[in-house]
Amino acid sequence: MSVVTELGKKKKGPSAYRKGDAKAAAFFLAPWFVGLFLITIGPMAASAYLSFTDYSLLEAPNWIGFENYTRMFEDPRLLNALKVTFLYVFISVPLQLAAALALALVLDRGLRGLAIYRSVYYLPSLLGGSVAIALLWRQVFGADGLVNGFLGLFGIQGEGWVSHPDYALGTLMILNVWTFGAPMIIFLAGLRQIPQMYYEAASIDGAGKWRQFTSVTLPLLTPIIFFNLVLQVINAFQTFTQAYVVSGGTGGPADSTMFYTLYLYQKGFASLDMGYASAMAWLLLAIVAGMTAVNFLASKYWVFYND
Amino acid sequence: MHSSLKGPGGSTKMWWRTSAVLAIGVLTLAACNGDSGAGGTDEEPTDAATSDTASSEGGGAEGAAEIRFSWWGSDERHTVTQEVIDLFMEKNPDITVVPDYTDWGGYWDKLATTVAGGDTPDVMTQEERYLTDYANRGVTADLAALGVDTSMVDASVLDSGTIDGELAGVATGVNAYTIVADPQMFEEAGVEWPDDTTWTWEDFMNIATEISDALGDGVYGVQDFGGNEAGFNIYARQQGESLYAEDGSLGYSDETLEEWYQMLVDLRESGAMPDGARSVEIAEGGPEQSLLGTNSGAMGFWWSNQLGAISSAAGRDLELLRVPGESSGERTGMYYKPAMFYSIAADSEYPDAAAAFVDFLINDPDAGALILSDRGLNANTEVRDSVSGMLDPLEVQASEFLGALSTEIVDGPPAPPTGAADVPEIAGRINEQLLFDTVSPADAAAQFTSEANAAIGQ
Repeated sequence: MSVVTELGKKKKGPSAYRKGDAKAAAFFLAPWFVGLFLITIGPMAASAYLSFTDYSLLEAPNWIGFENYTRMFEDPRLLNALKVTFLYVFISVPLQLAAALALALVLDRGLRGLAIYRSVYYLPSLLGGSVAIALLWRQVFGADGLVNGFLGLFGIQGEGWVSHPDYALGTLMILNVWTFGAPMIIFLAGLRQIPQMYYEAASIDGAGKWRQFTSVTLPLLTPIIFFNLVLQVINAFQTFTQAYVVSGGTGGPADSTMFYTLYLYQKGFASLDMGYASAMAWLLLAIVAGMTAVNFLASKYWVFYND
Repeated sequence: MHSSLKGPGGSTKMWWRTSAVLAIGVLTLAACNGDSGAGGTDEEPTDAATSDTASSEGGGAEGAAEIRFSWWGSDERHTVTQEVIDLFMEKNPDITVVPDYTDWGGYWDKLATTVAGGDTPDVMTQEERYLTDYANRGVTADLAALGVDTSMVDASVLDSGTIDGELAGVATGVNAYTIVADPQMFEEAGVEWPDDTTWTWEDFMNIATEISDALGDGVYGVQDFGGNEAGFNIYARQQGESLYAEDGSLGYSDETLEEWYQMLVDLRESGAMPDGARSVEIAEGGPEQSLLGTNSGAMGFWWSNQLGAISSAAGRDLELLRVPGESSGERTGMYYKPAMFYSIAADSEYPDAAAAFVDFLINDPDAGALILSDRGLNANTEVRDSVSGMLDPLEVQASEFLGALSTEIVDGPPAPPTGAADVPEIAGRINEQLLFDTVSPADAAAQFTSEANAAIGQ
C-alpha cells in the first residue's frame, strides 16, 4: 500500500491521491469481497432459503414454510444432540481454560527454555482437531488401549471407553481439554501485560502468593479470560471432526457422542434431508449467537477493564 | 472443497445446489475439509477435481469421451478395478475412464454431494437400499433404453434392478447373508460341527454358549449380529413375514422383532456374545477386527462374498453355514441379494460410452476374469461359467454354497422402499441401545418400527 501512496503523492495533487488510494483499496479488497459473497453470504442466503424447503439434494427443493423448524421441536434425537453438545461445552470449556491458565502461570515464571515448553504445550492444539489425533484417541481409550494398559498395572480391568455410552463423551471432553494450547498462549501474553509494580506493592502489604493471584492476577486477567471463553465456547459448539472420527461417523454408541453438527451432517448427507439440515444450521447459529450475547451481558458483572 | 464452486453463471438450479452444499460447509463444518476425500492410495492418476476441467475442455473432439466411474471398497478392489479400467481403455481407445473411489462409509455422502452439485459420476456403483432412492429421484438412466446387453444375466437377479419398469441398475452378482464359522474353534471347544440344513435357532444358541464356556475368557461363540437388519429379515421370512412388504410398508409384527432382540440379549447374557462395549468396538473394525478375523470367536453373520477377506484376516480357512431355522420355520428365509449394481447417470454427457463400459463390465469374459467373485457370484451366467476354473478354493466354496441354496430359496424379498437407506443406521443405533440395556427388547422393537416407518414415509 505504501508504494502506491508514495507514487500517487509524487505525480498528483491530494484529491487525485485520495481517488487513487480508493481504487487501490478496492483492488486489494476485491478478493476478500468475492470470497465473502461467493462462499459466505451467497451460501448462507441459499441455506436460509433451503431451510424452508424439503430439499433432498437429488431433486429440486419445494417450499414447505416453517415445517422444518416446527419438526425440530418434535425430534427426540435433536434434543439429545443438544443435550450432548451443551454437556460438552459446559464441562470441557471451563476445564480447558483452567488447564490453560494453570500452565500459563507455571510457564510465566521465567523458566529457562520457555520457548520450547511453550511449543510443546501448544502442539496438541495444532494436532487436536485432526483426524490423526482422533484415530489415536480411539486407540488410546480402546478396550486394549494405553489407558487400560495403565489401569491394568493397578489390577483394574478397564472398559472400552470410547465404545461405552457412559464414557464415550468423556473421552472427547478430555481431548478438548488437552488442546489448551491456544488459550494458554493468549493467557501468557495477558500475564506479561500485568505491571510488576502491583505485585511489589502487594508483597509490601504482606500478600502471599495465593493472595497475589486472587487479588492482582485474576482481576487484571479477566478481559483475557472473557476473550478465551467466548472463543472456546463458539469453537466447542462447532466440534465435528473428533466426534465423527472417534464414533466412526455414527455419533455412537447409542447416540452418546451425537454432537449437534454431526447430527446435522447425518441429516443432510446420509438421510438426504438437506432442508432440515439447513434449518438446523440456523438454529445452531441462533444458539451460538445467543450464548455469545449472554456471555457479553454477564461480562459486565465480572470482567474488570483496568483503564 | 471450495475450488469446485460454480458461479451464478451456470444454471440457477445447479447454483442453488452448490450453494446449499457450501452453506452447510461454511456454517458448521469448516474444520473437516481434509477427511472426506477419497481414502485412496497414491496410484490414482487423476482425482475428480482435475477430471472436471479436463472433460469440459476436451469434450469437443469427435468420438472421444471421458466418463467417471465411482465405486466403494477395499484396496484390493481398487487395484483390480483399475486393471479392468485399463483393459477397457485398451480395447476402446476413444473412451477415457476416470476412477473415483472411496471406502464404504464415505461413499454415500460423497455420491449425494456430487449428485447435488450436478456432477453425478457417469457410471456409479449402487446398492439395493440406495438404488430406489436414486432411481425414484431421476438420477439413474434406463439401462435397457441405452442398449446395455443383459441377455445373459440371470432373470430373477435382473429384476432386482428394475424400478417402475426401468432398468435403473444391473446387478453385478449375488451373495447371501449367512454364517461364517471357524472349524478349528469348534474342534478346540470339542463341539460337534452342526448340520446346517436342520439346525434351529435354539441349536445355534446352545452351540454358541457351549463354545464360549469351553474356550474361556476372551473367546466367544458368536459376534453380535443385531446391527444388520438383513439377519432379522431372514428370521421374519422364516415365519412367513418379511422386513418390507410388497407394497413398500413394513411387513413384520413387533412380536417377531421382539423375539429377535430377546435372542440377542439372551446370547449376550449367557456369555456367548461379547459385552456391549466390546461388541461396539469389534463391529467398527470390519472383517479384520472381527471375532473370526482375530481368532477369538467361532461364528459371525456376514455376506458370503466376505468369506475370503475374513479368512485371510483369520489366517485360516473358514466355512459358510446356512442361517439356523431354515428347515424348522414356516418356510426358508435366506435369499440371494444383488451384491451391487452398476447404474448410469441420467444426465451423463456420454451415455453411449457409459453404456459401453457397463456392457464391458458385465459381459466381457476378460473383465470377468479380473473381477472374479469380488462383486458377488457373477450375475452373468456365461461369465460365471467361464471364470469358474480361475477361482481360489474359498471362492469355489462360496460359489458352491450359493449354488446349493438355489433349490431352497423360495423367493427374493421385495425391493426396499424409498427411504430405506436410513434403516441400516436406525438398526445399528437401536442395537447399540440394546447392547447397553438402555431399552428392553419390546421397546427396541417398537422404536425400530416407529423410526423405520418414519424413514420410509409410512
